[in-house]
Amino acid sequence: MLDLAKSRWHPIAAAHDLPLRHVFHGQLLGREFAVWRADDGYVNIWENRCLHRGVRLSIGINDGRELKCQYHGWRYSNRTAGCTYIPAHPADAPARTITNRTFAAIERYGLVWSAEEPQGEVPEVAGLAEGRLLALRGIPVNAPADVVAARLKGYRFQPSGRIDGSAAKVAVEAASTFSVVLRSSEADATTLAVFFVQPVDSNRSVIRGVLDGQVEGAARLAVLRHHNELLSRLRLAVEAEAAREPAPAPLEPVIERVSPELAEMPEESKHGRKATIRVEVARKWLAADGIAGFELRPIKGLLPTFQPGAHIDVHLPNGLIRQYSITNGPGESDSYVIGVKLERDSKGGSTCLHETVREGDVLAISEPRNNFPLRRDSVKTIFIAGGIGITPLLAMAQALNNQNLVHELHYFAQNEAQLAFPEKTSTLGASLKPHLGLSPDQTGAKLREILSGYGPDKHVYLCGPGPMLEAARHIAAEMGWPETAVHFEYFKNTNVIDDSTSFEVALARSCMTLTVPAGKTILEVMRDAGIDMPSSCEQGACGTCLATVIEGEPDHQDVYLNDAERKSGTKIMTCVSRAKSARLVLDL
Amino acid sequence: MTKTRCTDQVILDLWHPLAALSEVAAGVVVDTVLLEERLSFAIDGEGNAAVWRDRADLAEGSPVDIAVISGKLPLKLAYGYIWTSLGNPPADLFPIPEFDEVDRRKLNAATFGVNVSAPRAIENFLDMGHFPYVHTDILGAEPHTEVKEYDVEISVDRDEILATRCRFFQPMASTASDGGADVDYIYRVPHPYCSVLYKSSPLDESRLDVIAVFLQPIDQEHVRAHMLLCVLDEDNEDKVIKRFQQTIFGQDKPILENQFPKRLPLDPRAETPIRADKSAIAYRRWLSQKGVTYGVIPAAT
Amino acid sequence: MITLYDYELSGNCYKLRLLMSMLGVDWKTVPVDFYPGREHKSDWFLRINPLGQLPVIDDDGLILRDAQAILVYLASKYDAAGTWYPRDNPALLGEVSQWLAFADGITATASAARLHDALFYDFDVEAARTGAHRLFRILDEHLWFGEQEGRDWICSASHPTIADIACFPYIMLSEEGGISRQDYPAIRRWCDRVKRIKGFTVMSGVFPAGPAKAA
Repeated sequence: MLDLAKSRWHPIAAAHDLPLRHVFHGQLLGREFAVWRADDGYVNIWENRCLHRGVRLSIGINDGRELKCQYHGWRYSNRTAGCTYIPAHPADAPARTITNRTFAAIERYGLVWSAEEPQGEVPEVAGLAEGRLLALRGIPVNAPADVVAARLKGYRFQPSGRIDGSAAKVAVEAASTFSVVLRSSEADATTLAVFFVQPVDSNRSVIRGVLDGQVEGAARLAVLRHHNELLSRLRLAVEAEAAREPAPAPLEPVIERVSPELAEMPEESKHGRKATIRVEVARKWLAADGIAGFELRPIKGLLPTFQPGAHIDVHLPNGLIRQYSITNGPGESDSYVIGVKLERDSKGGSTCLHETVREGDVLAISEPRNNFPLRRDSVKTIFIAGGIGITPLLAMAQALNNQNLVHELHYFAQNEAQLAFPEKTSTLGASLKPHLGLSPDQTGAKLREILSGYGPDKHVYLCGPGPMLEAARHIAAEMGWPETAVHFEYFKNTNVIDDSTSFEVALARSCMTLTVPAGKTILEVMRDAGIDMPSSCEQGACGTCLATVIEGEPDHQDVYLNDAERKSGTKIMTCVSRAKSARLVLDL
Repeated sequence: MTKTRCTDQVILDLWHPLAALSEVAAGVVVDTVLLEERLSFAIDGEGNAAVWRDRADLAEGSPVDIAVISGKLPLKLAYGYIWTSLGNPPADLFPIPEFDEVDRRKLNAATFGVNVSAPRAIENFLDMGHFPYVHTDILGAEPHTEVKEYDVEISVDRDEILATRCRFFQPMASTASDGGADVDYIYRVPHPYCSVLYKSSPLDESRLDVIAVFLQPIDQEHVRAHMLLCVLDEDNEDKVIKRFQQTIFGQDKPILENQFPKRLPLDPRAETPIRADKSAIAYRRWLSQKGVTYGVIPAAT
Repeated sequence: MITLYDYELSGNCYKLRLLMSMLGVDWKTVPVDFYPGREHKSDWFLRINPLGQLPVIDDDGLILRDAQAILVYLASKYDAAGTWYPRDNPALLGEVSQWLAFADGITATASAARLHDALFYDFDVEAARTGAHRLFRILDEHLWFGEQEGRDWICSASHPTIADIACFPYIMLSEEGGISRQDYPAIRRWCDRVKRIKGFTVMSGVFPAGPAKAA
């Protein structure tokens, strides 16, 4: 009887089965895997079906950073298997929780190991030294693994040093349900061979053999061919033996259900300002004049999937909370890289990061949140960055670059030394267009030039200092860009907030009516009443605490909504905006 | 009543297509499979036909006089196909009024075997989001990937799903212009295993081409897909029109055959819908409400 | 100009479209309603090819049938570099011919299983599948050792030959005949390499590969 323990490690591929930009089709105990190595070397072992419509991901495309499903182009990130883009809804950021099932992956003995619910370590094999061994060609066999393993005990072969001999003595050094260790000796030559039998399904297996010692050149091929021939012969015998028995029914792996909130239209889960992730500052460096780069690595586990345009809250040692955009390109999921500009009028946020936080420090951060989502259905995308406004746009440009979508990144700065993250911008090639040392007038003229030639299905993304954003939005409107094609993110809200009014807020879905007094925000009053509402910057810039207005007239004080959205009166940022009418009804 | 392998009474009572009349030689026995049952059928030259359970004395290819056959199954000739049922079918098949318009070309684009359940194939037929990825440069092209909002309802007049106001960007949408444009679609699902789509005609903007897929369930995970074209086209030879539709279907085939599980899961938590899948969501609910169990994985109750 | 008598879903016709595309040769298409119309058995087509088989080309009056034969012709005539069908290298030429014959075996098995499943041909599908698996095991082993020797293609050359083109389509379409390629990882990798040859084009049932990693 085949041992079906899900806790046991098994090899599921050879390391050489995973060249870059390829997806290997694996299977263990009936469960299929899509296995792919990202360009950064990470081995991903995923359930072999797209969460959307069940299409095998092994027919998808490994672009080095993400795996793309062939059916609808959904993209899943290296490491996290989180969905980063759903092309059918280009204006939306996919819910972070759309995450494919991943399985453990360990590379050892030239093989890739996995298990559904692994316990302990990949088995240690005495005598097999990592790096000094030879992995044989895997031999798929149409027979149960235990039958194959039993046969392998009788496997006879020549030691690698005496491949042409014929008198080798072979001894079984160890044997278990899924592995056989044999030693072949002739004269002074001896070779240890370990055969792992991968239980693919109830009636299918792969023999994965590893020899101790390295062999070079022609002798190496001779050894590989020697075993390939003998194992192929053994395969014929085992298959003939297995064919005499009635074939067992294939195993039926249970497919996990998706989370309940994904069963309906995806909605973002509700969060307050939660610092749920602890990261270590793995590297801190001068990313440009006055800009510190921070590489944040998780203390344990993996970081959540991020999308281009997303930001995180960073909780600082001095108690302040600040928002920083993730600059990473797609699939760069082992750490988050942020850029922090030292502000002259810093209230303690940037100063703390520049002066106090050091490599090795541990910080608390929030999950990434994307209120600045990137459409990828544009015939041409123009990014306009001013200074540190480069950070979200850098992530976006790298995403489009990876998909070969047409884009330009216009980067305004005082001088070359202020251009941040040259190691990232240099990968963008000719699409990066720096504009250095321009006066405000010259900047305006340049923006006019960049924004000329609006056409349908073009989009522009702006991030930079307030005055530059105002100018760019103004020029874009003049040049015929509709508001729906102009996307922007302010660093901060420089509006003077008037919180002197008092009004009533009715929460339609929660059946609650609250009074917002002067000096308190809608958000605070809702929180006091026990309503959990996500928020981040809490100054009307980031877009996290957006609510839908059903009735009443909002008094907008944020910098997140565009003019059309303001005029429509259907949306409100609950952290700063208030009501002009006596009562607001929100869809909450 | 003869016992059937399929025990889903809803499916047994439906009309199911067996073959395109235009492709059946008159006067000889043709074998086929429906719902795991071996059936035979034949037509004569005068518009008569018969369907019966496979019998040893009437082997495939042998001449037959359909007048003398006993134990015939229900029969309907509609839309150019032979239909039968293993249960008690309704009097009428769903209507396709456009089929009677005399200026339309009516063709069976092809009948293909596909290793997939009928409901998975219907869902693919209703889907627009895959056009740029599966029918690249024909029905869609990147970066124009958006599925715009559309409406879905269960039709008030008839027990069928109706998706309207569907639009999708199509490169070379018309022969008149080089550029792409949005093309309008209407989708109907009037039968658990049949769907009809209406699409802007490149020739006459006031009218719609009609393309239907009628699935003959061989078993729960295999179908024969019959594709009816009912289009406005005065210029092209039949084979050119068929070739286009076969190209499209051939592109969907590897997707369908790589879907897992092959039967359509009706548990809302089995897969992840998005807004673009409104019609598929409605279809899955409709199947659940009807109590369909064949070709699907019913939701646990 | 070359005229190709073509059926879109035919892997044998696809071989020629592939090579012509990779060679940058223009052609025009005469569609033949192979299915359901059986036009390849019609009188007009039998005059062109009495065997009643696709594909056929007409190159300025030269009419040729048989996919493998046409590959030989096209490569010999239109490949200026002489790599696809290396006429001046007898050993390599022998290898190419050997694998062209192997490709015929793939057609007789994998393509037959596909015709059975998709177009209801009355073939012994289990025999066809078993035969295809036997050939795929041989090819997978050959390609795996090729990788170990630093060789990417079916024949012993640093470049693809028409042997790769001849074998590719019905391997790529094998799943439509119920023949999984899961047990042939070296074949799956080689398929990616073929898809990355400059000028590669798809047919219904064959998806493109993503870009290779830039060197």
